[in-house]
Amino acid sequence: MDAVHSPTAMLISNFVFPNDLHVHWSMMIVLYPYITGLVDGAFIIAALYYLFDVKSLKPVARFSLLFALAFLCCATLPLLLHLGRPERNFNMLLTPSPSSAMAGFGYIYAVSMGVLVFIVLFVYRPDLVELRATSKGWLQLLYRALTFDSIDLSKKALALDRKIIRFLVGIGIPIAVVLHGYVGFIFGGVKANPTWSTPLMPVIFLFSACVSGISAIILAYIVIRKVKGRSIDHACIKTCIKTLTLFFILAFTFEMLEVFSHSYLKSGYHHMVEGLLNGPLASSFWLWQVKICSVIPLFILGVMAMVTIKNYIYNFTAAVVSAILLLQVLIMRWNVVIGGQLMSKSARGYTQFHPEWFDKEGILAVIIVMTIPFIILFVLSKIFPFWAADSETNVK
Amino acid sequence: MDLSYRKRLFILLLSICLLAGGGLLFKKLLVPKSFGVYGPYRADAIAEAALVPVRHGTNNSCFKCHPYEAKIHKKGLHQTISCESCHGTYADHVAEGKKIGTLPVKKEKEITTLCLKCHNTEIKARSEEVIKTVAMPNHLKDQKVKLTHNCNQCHHVHAPLKYIIRAKQITGLMEAGS
Repeated sequence: MDAVHSPTAMLISNFVFPNDLHVHWSMMIVLYPYITGLVDGAFIIAALYYLFDVKSLKPVARFSLLFALAFLCCATLPLLLHLGRPERNFNMLLTPSPSSAMAGFGYIYAVSMGVLVFIVLFVYRPDLVELRATSKGWLQLLYRALTFDSIDLSKKALALDRKIIRFLVGIGIPIAVVLHGYVGFIFGGVKANPTWSTPLMPVIFLFSACVSGISAIILAYIVIRKVKGRSIDHACIKTCIKTLTLFFILAFTFEMLEVFSHSYLKSGYHHMVEGLLNGPLASSFWLWQVKICSVIPLFILGVMAMVTIKNYIYNFTAAVVSAILLLQVLIMRWNVVIGGQLMSKSARGYTQFHPEWFDKEGILAVIIVMTIPFIILFVLSKIFPFWAADSETNVK
Repeated sequence: MDLSYRKRLFILLLSICLLAGGGLLFKKLLVPKSFGVYGPYRADAIAEAALVPVRHGTNNSCFKCHPYEAKIHKKGLHQTISCESCHGTYADHVAEGKKIGTLPVKKEKEITTLCLKCHNTEIKARSEEVIKTVAMPNHLKDQKVKLTHNCNQCHHVHAPLKYIIRAKQITGLMEAGS
């Protein structure tokens, strides 16, 4: 009896159905689109270099592939943690039904994982062949397997590798776009939720995914190079920031267009969506997502694009703006996933969400899940060297 | 093996195709035979579900042996409530027409807790026209009774207004029959 009279219960407003009191898709479902988004954005950077020949991205191209791989390994982890019986996900994959959106994701995920692994292997083949010659024991055995047991580095073989890489990256782009667009579709396809059920959802998710991934690459590149005491390629950072600016303008515009179309069309549940954004989400949406984490970075990116700044200040600003944008996308995911569930199907009341520390989907679990890709990245760095040997020569 | 790079890649491609084909075969082996006969589910599951013993009864199952409670329950505002929702599962009490166990009877504070599962104002599921909800202990204060009172000291649990209407009739606060 005490629980229902506690202040928690009193925060619930108006008229909420009992099954809407609890937010069922909590922080793990916030992480799921966030992690797949990081993969997508990182892959875009690699694609710009390997397929579209943006030469200035060379220093980060290989690193972004490994970054994407490390995060892709963990993309399904939050989903499995969210499930009560995670082993049952195989049932869904064994007998996929057209009415099950999640089964589709399983297949798209598997294909993108396969493609990414082979891109990494072909991109790294010359290095792996060299490492194979210098390594011993089980490491040599691993390198033999990773190089398909071939030490052929002739011009002909390398030309073939380049063709294969272009082909794989070529099919990798639509797969990556589908992978994250599909995540947006999973939310957009929930007819019962008026904030999610919009065809704009895949588009918004895709652009914000590119923003988060590119930001992560910029930040990780600058931080790792600084920590290791190595130089930072300014031309590369500049190209990354320009790409980031383009994707961020698109992402932010579509985020605002969605709100605008809700308020202009005043369709079905408009009063609920308006009440949500100005009520329970007033701080996390308008203040944090829009004002602090979108308008400020937009201004900074504008200054970086139009004013000539000293290289070290430019790089520092790039790191700061990337960090803010990483936060922006995380808050955006939060506002969509958690925010969307704060309104009751009664269309009359709102509930509250209180993150727990030690819950199965609590803050500690979030920290652990977000740490694992970095551990994988560290392990990958021991097998696949992040930076090409000649990366120091292009440094200004 | 001294194979050219091209040949190795061809073997790799062949292995991927074999792996994908093997996956399809594996999928075929793992999917239960009766899957998809009627729809995207296991047809055998229907027969298996039918074998699960029935655990719940209807109110009429209870009324057969409890005529006194039946008489009050059928007239009261709780007439649409299932006996099992407060008393527990039928199968724990009766098997093959014979009593096999006693269902736990709620006492004192437990009764108040049980009532508030539906009648708490904090549960904003239905309007006051559908279900009367109260906030505790405000309701007890409003009715000018002791705060230690349990719900069943004023309300009959099967017909919540039975005593209230009778009391109002006796004291003349309400015309008989209204």
